[in-house]
Amino acid sequence: MRRAGEGLPLLPAALGGLLVAFLLLPVLALLARGLGPAFWPTLHSPAVQDALRVSLLTTGCAVALTVVLVTPVAWALARFHFPGKAALETLLDLPIVLPPVVAGVGLLLVFGRQGWLGPPLELAGISVAFSPAAVVLAQLFVSAPFYLRAARAGFGAVDPDVEAAARTDGAGRWAVFRLITWPLALPFLLEGLILTWARALGEFGATILFAGSLPGKTRSITLAIYAALESDLGPALVLSAVMVVVAFALLLLVRMAAGLRQR
Amino acid sequence: MKRPLLLLGLLLAGSAQAANLTVFAAASLTDAFTELGRAFDARTGHRTTFQFAGSQVLRTQLEQGARADVYASANSAQFEPLVRAGLLNPGTLFVSNRLAIIAPQSSRAVTTLADLARPGVKLVIADRAVPAGDYTRRMLTAVEKAGTYGKDFSARVLKNVVSEEPNVRQVALKVGLGEADAAVVYQTDVTPALKAKVRLIALPTRFNQTASYPLGVVKGSANPQAAQAFVAFVLSAEGQTILRRWGFRPAPRPTP
Repeated sequence: MRRAGEGLPLLPAALGGLLVAFLLLPVLALLARGLGPAFWPTLHSPAVQDALRVSLLTTGCAVALTVVLVTPVAWALARFHFPGKAALETLLDLPIVLPPVVAGVGLLLVFGRQGWLGPPLELAGISVAFSPAAVVLAQLFVSAPFYLRAARAGFGAVDPDVEAAARTDGAGRWAVFRLITWPLALPFLLEGLILTWARALGEFGATILFAGSLPGKTRSITLAIYAALESDLGPALVLSAVMVVVAFALLLLVRMAAGLRQR
Repeated sequence: MKRPLLLLGLLLAGSAQAANLTVFAAASLTDAFTELGRAFDARTGHRTTFQFAGSQVLRTQLEQGARADVYASANSAQFEPLVRAGLLNPGTLFVSNRLAIIAPQSSRAVTTLADLARPGVKLVIADRAVPAGDYTRRMLTAVEKAGTYGKDFSARVLKNVVSEEPNVRQVALKVGLGEADAAVVYQTDVTPALKAKVRLIALPTRFNQTASYPLGVVKGSANPQAAQAFVAFVLSAEGQTILRRWGFRPAPRPTP
């Protein structure tokens, strides 16, 4: 990356070093404290296992729901123009900047017992608040926009001429999507999906407000870290180290997906 | 009550300069200490800032080097370890509190103590590390020991718990919002604001637990004099009157 004939100027290098140290030190501290000799036994303790199970299960559902609900919307937004599109797109992006606790309050006001949809749901025998379903909804709300943005860009980047060519060769709309559009957009979709999963894994504010914190049911990794900090630091440090490793691995995957895209 | 007042007078005279005080206090003290802090500031010219949270959270923060001048905890279990670690001066018990079982006006699922164990009831309590959560579990054990509601009463109640919250005010909030059928909080959490939204479920005194609140000056305090003045004000007749107004009971007599 070095430009010919010039070294890296001193000021950016010094500031860069400072920034790297600032970002690196907390991560190193988390790993050093978390990956001690107590790592394996603590990792297998019920509190940690419960949290990992809850998180994997709920984020799995949230990601699956994201794919099913968001992919068609992203495709439609990339292909069609209609009045109010800008407003709709802004609305769909809103959760990215909305504080998660605010999202939690909103979800409670809609799906809570006293909420708009609470009583009819209750009549149907469905109770959302304080259930794993509430964790999934919280994660879906805050993380789906990340996939939407990436997928929209992905579908937008597919050359319409290629699709048109396929259509003149007699392919139907679904066949074009399945054989042309989707595979071409795949690197974008993967990148968006990984970011969505990472955001869902890290969800805290909306979850604790809307789903509560019950070990083995709604206490996800981040809630377990918060709860453990109050009594026994061990599980908190182990789970924090796990989160650091997972987050790093996920971002690495995003970079690889981005690399695929550029080819 | 004469002596604390005298002490207060002496201390106030000694601290002519206004100081910025940071007080870490149990979440259940939120309303009482906010009012008490205003009265203290008006009287002394100090500026008191509060951080309210579960006592266990505040304890962890103090252990990790958080700067504060005074710490008020909802139980000794989250207070004494800090004294033993040399982070806190020995404290004084300044008020006591009792538990209350509350249910939202909107739900009739719980009307008696026995209903807590009924299948399908949704309960919210504090996490076991939170003082209120600890007292709650002790209360359930006491009820179970009495045998009135069956042998595994405690286990059946805990099975109905849908959330273990990080502090007692969050527990009260969930019932205030009508999201849970019942919750266990402190009597003082049933503030005028909450009273309109909840019903109290009778809890016989013999099962209730006395929560005793210790208060002390943090060793690393930058304003030890002002911090001591705050402690004295809490113990003074005026401070105790404010605390009583928010439903707190006098501190248990110190054991010799």
